[in-house]
Amino acid sequence: MDAAVLQASDWQFVASNWEFLLKGTIVTILLTIASLSLGFLSGFPAGAVEVYGSGWLREAVSTVGVVLRGTPIVVLIVLFYYGLPLPRLGSVPVLDIRLDRFIAATVALGLRSGAYQAQVFRGAIQSIDEGQMEAARSVGMTKLGAIRHVIFPQAIRRSIPGFQNEFTIVLKDTSIAFAIGLAELLYQADQLYLRPGRDTAVMEVIITISAIYFVLTFVTNRSLDRLHDHYAIPGGND
Amino acid sequence: MTRRFDMDRRAYLKTVGAVGATAGVAGCLGDVLGGGDDTIIPGTAPGFAPFEFTNDDGELVGFDIDLAEETIDRAGYEVGDWTEIEFESLIPELTEENIDLAAAGMTITEERQETIAFSEPYYESDQAVLVASDGDLDPGSVEDLEGAVVGAQTGTTGEGEVETLVEDGIVAEDDTRQYQNYPMAVQDLENGNVDAIIIDIPVAQNFESGRDVEVAFEIETGEVFGFGMRQDDDRIGDINDALAEIRDDGTYEDLIETWFE
Repeated sequence: MDAAVLQASDWQFVASNWEFLLKGTIVTILLTIASLSLGFLSGFPAGAVEVYGSGWLREAVSTVGVVLRGTPIVVLIVLFYYGLPLPRLGSVPVLDIRLDRFIAATVALGLRSGAYQAQVFRGAIQSIDEGQMEAARSVGMTKLGAIRHVIFPQAIRRSIPGFQNEFTIVLKDTSIAFAIGLAELLYQADQLYLRPGRDTAVMEVIITISAIYFVLTFVTNRSLDRLHDHYAIPGGND
Repeated sequence: MTRRFDMDRRAYLKTVGAVGATAGVAGCLGDVLGGGDDTIIPGTAPGFAPFEFTNDDGELVGFDIDLAEETIDRAGYEVGDWTEIEFESLIPELTEENIDLAAAGMTITEERQETIAFSEPYYESDQAVLVASDGDLDPGSVEDLEGAVVGAQTGTTGEGEVETLVEDGIVAEDDTRQYQNYPMAVQDLENGNVDAIIIDIPVAQNFESGRDVEVAFEIETGEVFGFGMRQDDDRIGDINDALAEIRDDGTYEDLIETWFE
């Protein structure tokens, strides 16, 4: 790729299609939020079950986790897209996305993220000293009360760094929904340089969306850093 | 709190069993609720000008788009929202009933007919061999491609031609290149990473006019395009009748002039 290819006209082309890329960016953000929410809602209880659960429930949760963590995300997305009995739900106006594709991508990214988040929370819960539980029980708390009021508040704080990592992973992995034709940022970019005579703009378009992804991850990370500092226990070691 | 995290044989078998069960269940859940029988949802893979592409206003346009809409309309059905996906995914989209009709410059082949049905042919297209204008390679026939690096879009008849070259011992297996779409292939051709691209003639001519590439020679394959539909879809008869009508009343000629002149 020589420098001559990076022509001004191609940059103008990218600039004049900012709305097109904005649409994709919005879809990427929505998909990230939806997937992370699903991941948290499934991963947080799953992490707790892996620590405090017993018998078949813990077995089931940990087996599902192993399967989800052991399957490539592309495989998961395609599997859910063709495997889920999704009716024809039509399209979302303005964003031009097919709802069934969005749901399939959310379920795939969300459940996989849940499997990883479960490990983050499990690690955080187990990192809280055993003495905390003993102390809570000795002042008359029930086991559940102790978990709820003593263990979890500390564990959640410790899980922020791991969650932050997961956040950026999911954000970047939304691009894999490209495989099922969901109009997220990468797909929109692809559509841009596939226009006739516009294939000279491949580099410009890719550089632009790289920058957009970077801004998104950077802002996310800084926000979560602030959150971590805000809720840190004064004088605590984390 | 002591726990073992290594996977013993039993856990391993359980996991593998669970995967098998998941895949089995997923396989059984393939029945999607179809749309109404009075709507035909068309699907295509843009990036194949002048057949289907996105114009500068971001609209999906092209010969296939106009022809398919006209055909569906004349056959007495509603035209559903166009679905866009990579070319290779069109056949699964059809069989999974996410779309009802694939209009994507799809060549009628025996292999494809094993899984889907085709309308009557609506376009004849041979393959062109595209080379860079300033390249050292200027082949006049298939034999001249000996030792060259040759590419095509995956899942296309062009790729089939590349495979034929490999089978005939003209091109080495390692010297073939596969692309997700043709614009990428042409980009690679201009950059000198591949010596020749095999692609449908009208699309090749389209690239010839806009890029530093030229058609070196043509390979006569006698291939024809058809609309892909499901084998159990009895609406195909109406589609064929509509196609015949479009040919007879001159609409077809008008579309050819619009998109190929």
